[in-house]
Amino acid sequence: MFSKKSICTLYILLILISIFSCKKLVEVDPPGTQITSNNVYNNDATAIAVMNGLYSKLSSTGFVGGSPLISNISLWAGLSADEFILWSGTTITALLYYQNALNASAHGSEFWMSTYPLIYVCNAAIEGLQKSSSLNSTVKQQLLGEAKFMRAYFYFYLVNLYGDVPLALTTDYTVNSLLSRYAKSAVYDQIRSDLSDAKDLLANGYVKNDAVTLYPTASAERVRPSKAAASALLSRVELYNNNWANAESEATAVISNTSLYDTVPLNNVFLKNSKEAIWQLQPVLSEITNTQEGFFFNLTIAPIGVNDFHSVHLSQSVLNSFEAGDKRKVNGNWINVFTDGSGTYYYPYKYKVGSIGAPVTEYPMFLRLGELYLIRSEAKARQNNLPGAIADLDVIRKRAGLPLIANSIPGISQTALLNAILHERQVELFSESGHRWLDLKRTGNVDAVMATATSLKGGTWQSYQQLYPVPVDDLLKNPNLTQNAGY
Amino acid sequence: MVIKGSKPPSGEGCKRRLSTKKLLRVMKLTAIILLSACLAASAKGKSQGITLSVKDAPLEKVFIEIKKQTGYSFVYYKDDLAKGQKVTIQVSNARIEEVLNLLFKDKPITYSIFEHNIVLKQKTESPNEQTTDEPKPIPITGKVFDENGNPLVGATVTVRGTQTAVKTDANGQFTIEANAGQTLVITYVGYVDEQIKVGNETTLTVTLEVDVKSLLAVTVNKGYYTEKMRNTVGNVATVKAADIEKQPVSNPLLALQGRVPGLVITQSSGVPGSGVTVRIQGRNSINGGNDPLYIIDGVPYPSQMLATTTGGNNFTGILGTSGGSNLAPGGNGNPLSFIGVENIESIEILKDADATSIYGSRGANGVILITTKKGSVKGKNKIELNFQQGWGKVTRTIEMMNTRQYLDMRYEALRNDGININSISNSTSFRYYDLNVWDTTRYTDWQKVLTGGTAHYTDANGSVSGGNANLNYRIGGGYHRETTVFPGNFNNKRGVVNFIINNQSLDRRFSLQLSASYINNNNALPQADFISTALQLPPTAPPIYNGDGSLNWAPNSIDRSSWTNPLSQLNNKYENTTENLISSFIVGYKITPDLELKTQLGYNRLQTDEFSGLSILSRTPESRATFNRTAQYTSSTIKFYLAEPQLNYTRTFGKVKIDVLLGTTIQQNQNKGEVINTSGHPTDDLLRDIRSATSFNIPSSIDAVYKYNALFSRINLNWSNKYILNLTGRRDGSSRFGPENRFQNFGSIGGAWIFTEENLFKKQSILSFGKLRASYGTTGNDQIGDYTYLDLYNSVSNPVPYQNWSSISIDNISNPYLQWEETRKLSVGFSLGLINDRILADITFNRNRSSNQLISYSLPYTTGFTSVYLNLPATIQNISWEFSLNSMNVKQKSFTWETNFNLTVPKNKLVSFPSIEQTTLAGSLVIGQPLSITKAFHYLGVDPVTGLYQFLDQNGNPTTSPTFNDRTVLVNTDPKLYGGFQNSFRFKRVEISTFFQFTKQKQSTLSLLKFGYANPPGSASLNQPAFVLDRWQKLGDDAEIQKYSTAFSAYFPWSNASQSDAGIVDASFIRLKNITASYDLKTDFLKKSHIEKLRLFVEGQNLLTISKFKGIDPENQSSSSLPPLRVLAVGLNVQF
Repeated sequence: MFSKKSICTLYILLILISIFSCKKLVEVDPPGTQITSNNVYNNDATAIAVMNGLYSKLSSTGFVGGSPLISNISLWAGLSADEFILWSGTTITALLYYQNALNASAHGSEFWMSTYPLIYVCNAAIEGLQKSSSLNSTVKQQLLGEAKFMRAYFYFYLVNLYGDVPLALTTDYTVNSLLSRYAKSAVYDQIRSDLSDAKDLLANGYVKNDAVTLYPTASAERVRPSKAAASALLSRVELYNNNWANAESEATAVISNTSLYDTVPLNNVFLKNSKEAIWQLQPVLSEITNTQEGFFFNLTIAPIGVNDFHSVHLSQSVLNSFEAGDKRKVNGNWINVFTDGSGTYYYPYKYKVGSIGAPVTEYPMFLRLGELYLIRSEAKARQNNLPGAIADLDVIRKRAGLPLIANSIPGISQTALLNAILHERQVELFSESGHRWLDLKRTGNVDAVMATATSLKGGTWQSYQQLYPVPVDDLLKNPNLTQNAGY
Repeated sequence: MVIKGSKPPSGEGCKRRLSTKKLLRVMKLTAIILLSACLAASAKGKSQGITLSVKDAPLEKVFIEIKKQTGYSFVYYKDDLAKGQKVTIQVSNARIEEVLNLLFKDKPITYSIFEHNIVLKQKTESPNEQTTDEPKPIPITGKVFDENGNPLVGATVTVRGTQTAVKTDANGQFTIEANAGQTLVITYVGYVDEQIKVGNETTLTVTLEVDVKSLLAVTVNKGYYTEKMRNTVGNVATVKAADIEKQPVSNPLLALQGRVPGLVITQSSGVPGSGVTVRIQGRNSINGGNDPLYIIDGVPYPSQMLATTTGGNNFTGILGTSGGSNLAPGGNGNPLSFIGVENIESIEILKDADATSIYGSRGANGVILITTKKGSVKGKNKIELNFQQGWGKVTRTIEMMNTRQYLDMRYEALRNDGININSISNSTSFRYYDLNVWDTTRYTDWQKVLTGGTAHYTDANGSVSGGNANLNYRIGGGYHRETTVFPGNFNNKRGVVNFIINNQSLDRRFSLQLSASYINNNNALPQADFISTALQLPPTAPPIYNGDGSLNWAPNSIDRSSWTNPLSQLNNKYENTTENLISSFIVGYKITPDLELKTQLGYNRLQTDEFSGLSILSRTPESRATFNRTAQYTSSTIKFYLAEPQLNYTRTFGKVKIDVLLGTTIQQNQNKGEVINTSGHPTDDLLRDIRSATSFNIPSSIDAVYKYNALFSRINLNWSNKYILNLTGRRDGSSRFGPENRFQNFGSIGGAWIFTEENLFKKQSILSFGKLRASYGTTGNDQIGDYTYLDLYNSVSNPVPYQNWSSISIDNISNPYLQWEETRKLSVGFSLGLINDRILADITFNRNRSSNQLISYSLPYTTGFTSVYLNLPATIQNISWEFSLNSMNVKQKSFTWETNFNLTVPKNKLVSFPSIEQTTLAGSLVIGQPLSITKAFHYLGVDPVTGLYQFLDQNGNPTTSPTFNDRTVLVNTDPKLYGGFQNSFRFKRVEISTFFQFTKQKQSTLSLLKFGYANPPGSASLNQPAFVLDRWQKLGDDAEIQKYSTAFSAYFPWSNASQSDAGIVDASFIRLKNITASYDLKTDFLKKSHIEKLRLFVEGQNLLTISKFKGIDPENQSSSSLPPLRVLAVGLNVQF
């Protein structure tokens, strides 16, 4: 049987085997709970899941106690502009945005910090999808389009909030960590190019969760970007860049698709799958949670007290800007009121479901037809097509129950019409997607309006505050980066 | 019991040969002895007198009869017996020895008795007839072992009263002639003398007991091998049970505080089970893990709890962290708190390369070896019971403002800002509730109400141990319960059972050890620490309870709660249940006396389940309508598997003793865990019921495997205990690295010269011991977390899946080229023993240089992530001088006084970092400075004109709003020196020891403390420390604190002040860490009750702290977590 020698030999052998088989002994499979990037883009289901991850992330971001993110820009940019009154006993973050007192070392860089990671996901998806050869080609095309659309969407906000921004287009951190700021125009060029790619790639309609099959028009869940979404965002981008003709044609491309899109009555606009919707997100937080907007803006207690929750109500300047007879201002339409012993508070009521527990009837809206009418109206007016501009503007006014310009002031001047359009944007798009803040800056009215507004909010307006500060962290880590003037 | 097969040929030459048959026989013999040892236990009751009457019977038959009567088994080789032939014997009620003597009187056979085995051997020589009548010197052979069962070489065996003396050989064996009735005295330096009366036994096994007073003789566990402290080449410290047991702490790590040079231990919180950060010889890694490797009885143990959510922290932060890093985050709490303190025999701290290289890639941050208690080899059953009851209080409080001071501060702030309190509309303004809703005449000391309670501490444990050198065991159990100083009924309970069995064959060739320990820990705590609330609530805040006993929410005129009642939190629940199994099996076999095969198998498991639930009752009544109850269920399991075959060769060639060790490690860790968040529970009662939730979400789930494989070796040469050379090496592979870089070699060389062994010194009388030692070698660090080299996508769990489809997200940037971080350690030490080693002094110089730094290289947000793991060419140096002194000041029979002192002077430095300016670390690290360096504003005090804090800008001008580039001052927050000082006195049966711990340091992080607590003084309805009274009030004032204000204009200078050099305050302290007084009771009653020892004791922990630090505690320096408690305990120890 075994000899002492053989046991000894066996033992030494065992030790030796373990050395030579070391490689095996320290090889591990990928973790059971994660998937490697190589595998992600080799499979339709996981490739789709990457984009779903992005939408879920946007959709699950709360307003309450949260921090400024693209998906809740309606609150934060609204605070920076003249749309809200903030209860003073709230967090310092909200107060600094509200009083236009952002400070590079404290707050103001949140959008930057939260958006670049999302852009990374887009970049990784674009790289992964382009490399992949095993995906269904329709899936690949749709997802590539979605990733490009999302990247454009994120850069649109970055460039508007921070001015010139680094343009990260790869996943290579060695490149991305040393980027300098690109001129606004260069960023817009990239956005335009992404959107034009997206337009070509995305489905002409809304796809189901397999990223291929189209929903029937009537019951489309408009929760993935479509060709129309790309056109709508491109139309906005062209408007911001004074490319009036392009803005007009992109808007027309969507408006003319009447089988999918149409104006709907005021109180149906923000319902899920409404015909007004060009791009919405699906709520993911629970079966009984509607939109974050509804949850946050709808007051059930006075916007005072210990919680950050319900700390905001509509400013006087929003309330005053409505013309007499505007149905949007009627309580229970787009505005509602809460009264208690401490006072009377008006709040945005575009989203009507605030409580948790109600069936989901509303989806958060990111692109909608109403904006496109106003974009086209402005673009036409700029191109001196006043009747065309008036017609588009009147679509919105008509829904609001206001007298049509075509009837009341048919001979309106171009300047007056442009002012009317801007005014209409204020009252139509209030508390939505930061439109008011971006419009003020885009039109050069920001200093005039904010000088008064900021002092009402308890701060002091200085023109540099129209751009948010770049994070100090990034300035330290990237020698090629510069801070916005004034910070 | 007969062993079949032929007897091995005798003779020296053959012994060395590895003969199949002999091996087999030895194995059989061993197995039989094992078996018979078990059987013997059952036969024990029968050992009475033997009655025999046989004529010419075969010996075998007699053996069977004897076994029947006594239970004694015979073990022998058949060939030996053939010469015995038949016997005739007649005895009645005789002792076994008598019978055996008769049986073998004129036969060439000797016998020896081990327990219930009688081993028969052929007489090797001496054919002379033996006469039992008159005492004639008989040859006695024996073997001397140390307390761990290792042979003692060079022990002296003398026959008392004669000149006869021999020394034990390389195998610890001796042969001496003595008469029956004479006494053998066995002595060895550092051991208690053993005296054995010569009886009938001619084969002796002697186990010497360590003389605990002689530190040089202490056996040091170095993991794969043990050594005498005297002969160690490396820098090792050992803390024994005696010192650990004296301290009323529940985590054994805390018992090490201040006792070991080079070791810094920080407790993150005073709640039971809290996090504990351990650093040996400083920070070697910029931001990889800096935890030491923990080994319990040979099996690795986790240094961090499992971080079940990304970012490292579980639901509640009350337990605090254990200093995990970005790369290797840990959960809250500390896994070592699940080891019963009472079960520990010793803790060894391995520091330098000589001691740690054999742990290769895991040894860079030092190794902490925990050895649990073993069975007794004294042959007698020992029962030990301990009971302890203690009371804990917060060590210090901060003097806060009283009602008048507080109100004055608030009004002054409003005056400074031009706010007229009367113009503020009615009582609905939250910011002024303290002034216009609350009763401004009230005063409550919130520190007293919320953190002023007494924590009760109960500990009971017991053990039974017994056996002999061949088979021994220990079985223990314990119960520990600790409550908190917070209001409410919170406690941590722990139950422990453990056992260890050791077996050695008669010839000590075959050995087995099986040990296991199971711990069940149940920690129920409030969800948050009350410390910050206690410091922030204004003294005028409302009473906690209404008249009817319900919680008071102090509603204002429109029924809005004007405060968050602090005790409303008690309705929220946090529970942490941990089960911990530590087990190990070691089997060893000596093929020849020189060569031993050993294999250790180990399995450790740590399973933690946490629950936390938010009750609706914790919310203000008006917000309950919209409140959604939420709960979190967390479970995590850490498993360690280990297999370590080893070959050990020991042989003496002339004056040189050689030890060679070769082994391999196969280790696997498995981490599993998940977190489930729920909401929508219909009532508080159902928070515990996961099914009652309406919404579920799994934010994280972990399933990670870590595999590790290594080959290790050690060669030790000892030339007459004078020159010692120690070489260790390890080849390591770890799955934490990319396939390209999995393997690496580590090694060390160390030498010691015990110069007092030189003849020159032998005549010296004062200098009794002197040793010079030096070592140099490499170790590695693989604490970077698992899978960091892979590009991984994680599932995202939302209650409603997006489009009813799964979602995944990308959570890291990978680097497939990650490599080991390497630390080169140099250590030079000098040890002296004076006056027969009554004074022992040691000075050690250490220089550790870590390079190829594994860095969580921080990235700008534009990359999408905040960091990526890289190896960068940075070199970090930790230099430390360690001093220790042990002195037996008085050593008399009735009085002894011993002093221990240790001091460490550390210095951490970033030595080089080529092209640092091109990295993102340029902003936070400076070459030539410690890693902990902070760039701060230079503080200029309060501007007498504006009343605001001023700072120096980069151009040398004062400013109240400095920008980042104005951070011109470098602040070093590393400790300057630290150490401990212990005095132990024994007067007859009274023992008293005092232990002081001291640290000279600045506050470790920039802090606001100097400038008011948590908010600018006066800015909100929050109380402030009384020291902020020295504030600017009017133009020209020269004050410490800026003007009271509620405005932003005052907020930023205040927050900048915390980023200034004035934000660093002195946090040096001297702490009376421990006092123990004990009394050994000795009465006749005890003797009668067979109580061997009854010891009464009083212990105090953290009794007194002397510090200029303004916060609550200079040690954890936290303003939001409970400081370590001052504990006073009384107890008794009984031994039967």
